[in-house]
Amino acid sequence: MIAFDRVSLTLGSFSLKDVSLTIGKGDYYFVVGPSGAGKTVLLEAIAGLHSPGSGRILLRGEEITALPPERRGVALVYQDYSLFPNMTVSENVSYGLRVRGMRKGEARAGVAGLLERFGISHLADRYPGTLSGGEQQRVALARAVAVKPEILLLDEPLSALDPVTQEKFIEDLRRLHREEGLTIVQVSHSRRETHLLATRVGVIIDGSLVDEGEAEVVLNRPRSREVAAFVGVENILDGTVTANENGVATVDAGGRTFEAVTEAAAGEAVTLCIRADDVALAVGTDPSARKAMAGRVVSVVENGPVAEVKVDCGVILTAVLTRRSARDLSLVPGTPVTLSVRATAVHVIRG
Amino acid sequence: MKTRVISDDLLRGGREASLTRWKEHRGRYVDWCTVGFCILGALLVGITVLAIASMASAELANPAHLLEVATSSEVVGSILLTFAAGANAVLLLALFGTPLAYVLARARPSRFKGVVESIVDIPLILPHTVAGLLVYLLFMRRGWLGAPLSDIGLAFEDAYPGTVVAMLFVASPFYVNTVREGFEKVPVHLENVARTLGAGTFTTFRTVTLPLSLRHIYSGAVLAWGRAIGEFAGVVMIAYYPFIISTLIYYSFTTDGIQTSRSIGFAVILVSFGVFYLLRRMTRFVGRYDDRV
Repeated sequence: MIAFDRVSLTLGSFSLKDVSLTIGKGDYYFVVGPSGAGKTVLLEAIAGLHSPGSGRILLRGEEITALPPERRGVALVYQDYSLFPNMTVSENVSYGLRVRGMRKGEARAGVAGLLERFGISHLADRYPGTLSGGEQQRVALARAVAVKPEILLLDEPLSALDPVTQEKFIEDLRRLHREEGLTIVQVSHSRRETHLLATRVGVIIDGSLVDEGEAEVVLNRPRSREVAAFVGVENILDGTVTANENGVATVDAGGRTFEAVTEAAAGEAVTLCIRADDVALAVGTDPSARKAMAGRVVSVVENGPVAEVKVDCGVILTAVLTRRSARDLSLVPGTPVTLSVRATAVHVIRG
Repeated sequence: MKTRVISDDLLRGGREASLTRWKEHRGRYVDWCTVGFCILGALLVGITVLAIASMASAELANPAHLLEVATSSEVVGSILLTFAAGANAVLLLALFGTPLAYVLARARPSRFKGVVESIVDIPLILPHTVAGLLVYLLFMRRGWLGAPLSDIGLAFEDAYPGTVVAMLFVASPFYVNTVREGFEKVPVHLENVARTLGAGTFTTFRTVTLPLSLRHIYSGAVLAWGRAIGEFAGVVMIAYYPFIISTLIYYSFTTDGIQTSRSIGFAVILVSFGVFYLLRRMTRFVGRYDDRV
């Protein structure tokens, strides 16, 4: 649907460097990366608000590098909602229809159903300045959807909302994506949103696209250490392969050995990525368990329904348990525990 | 702030009540910095008040003379001419200055933009006589623009168009800079959203940027108009006739003497004050959305 062909663009301190990516029809594509990495610029380039210094942008297979935003069929929702303060909610939502030449009454009637669907009918005659953040966000989304875009661009739409409103909004977005068959491109630096919504993910760091692919793959089997750290892989260890038997390697990392499925040969330096929920934890020392690592709890941090447990077993590893089981096991700093990791749960980054 | 509270109380309440309140306030914390600032500021305001008072005391002593001068067709005609020429200049500014202000507000910083900005500000830094000379040399009968325009029947020397063009020149930075500030305050994101919703550049300007800058456009126009009607040196070089109000006062000061010119001056103060008060009052009805941007 959208393709970037070696697009470079500089805008003040933000830049995109030689970005090539493809977003398919019906994708829920997440653009993630640290602040200032150029994510918003990428979104605005899709919308046609910046023209690239070099490279081409294709939409539906046609080159649109020079097509103005109003003719791209792409709607944009900013993080700050950007509602028109001089118009009521109803006027905001019907703006796109009005500028297409629809009469005022007609446009108002045309968006009534939309207001209903987003639960903002009762706000129709209010001005944006009097709305809460969540309400403003809904109006912004309704306004974007009103013009029936093929592609919806969302710039960190959830970052300014309280957690309860966020949950509702994520549900709204998911429904929108499923029911309308919209292609959605969302900029985010929240891992949670990415896990919940994305079908594909592109990682931008310092203006370069460093990883791209199926959400599942990028999030769990990142291409580089940098990406791994960004997508929130809790355990990243540097090590060296000591042996490889039929694709199962033994890796020495900080004095501990791990087994991992990889083609890396003995002597090769690798980085291991292990998600915290793949680290199994048992209380006490259990010498019978093969490849188990004994250690002591360093810290227990409760985070909502889960507890992150850091364990020192030569290297520091993070495991995640439900809060309930962490309490049942009465884990406190100093508790002796045993950790084990399946070979298939270890992702190896080579080179 | 504190001083105002005290004086309000003193004015409003009964004498007894205010006395006790005054006592209550005594011993409270006094912000000497604010008090000092108020005193210094009052000196400045005082000069204006004193000047007007000295003129008013002389004029109000002889109201018959004031009335006679103020209602003479010469003075009334001149005031109307001045206001009309000023309004005319502001209209032209709105037509040409608004697009310029928008371009300056949205252009990325560059050397070229800096140069244009300096050119816009030139009338601000020049002595008014120099501004007058510039306008005269360009628009006089043999000037670069004056010659071709007089060929098609538009004369500037000692004519209404000359007055307007001189006012336009000296007032332009006030309009352009104020309006530009207004445009700069409208977030680019709003324009971007409007564009993606299907509005072209001009529709976006008309439906989003302009309505959100109305207050600045209005105050820019008022400022520019005030500047225009007050101009003397800039106008007198190209258009000594017809007499605008400052030329009339100067003429009367040098020929009839102080008494007549003072009466005209006082009449002008009253009229201008009234008009500006009304214009300022009207601001509250214009573009109230500015604050919410």
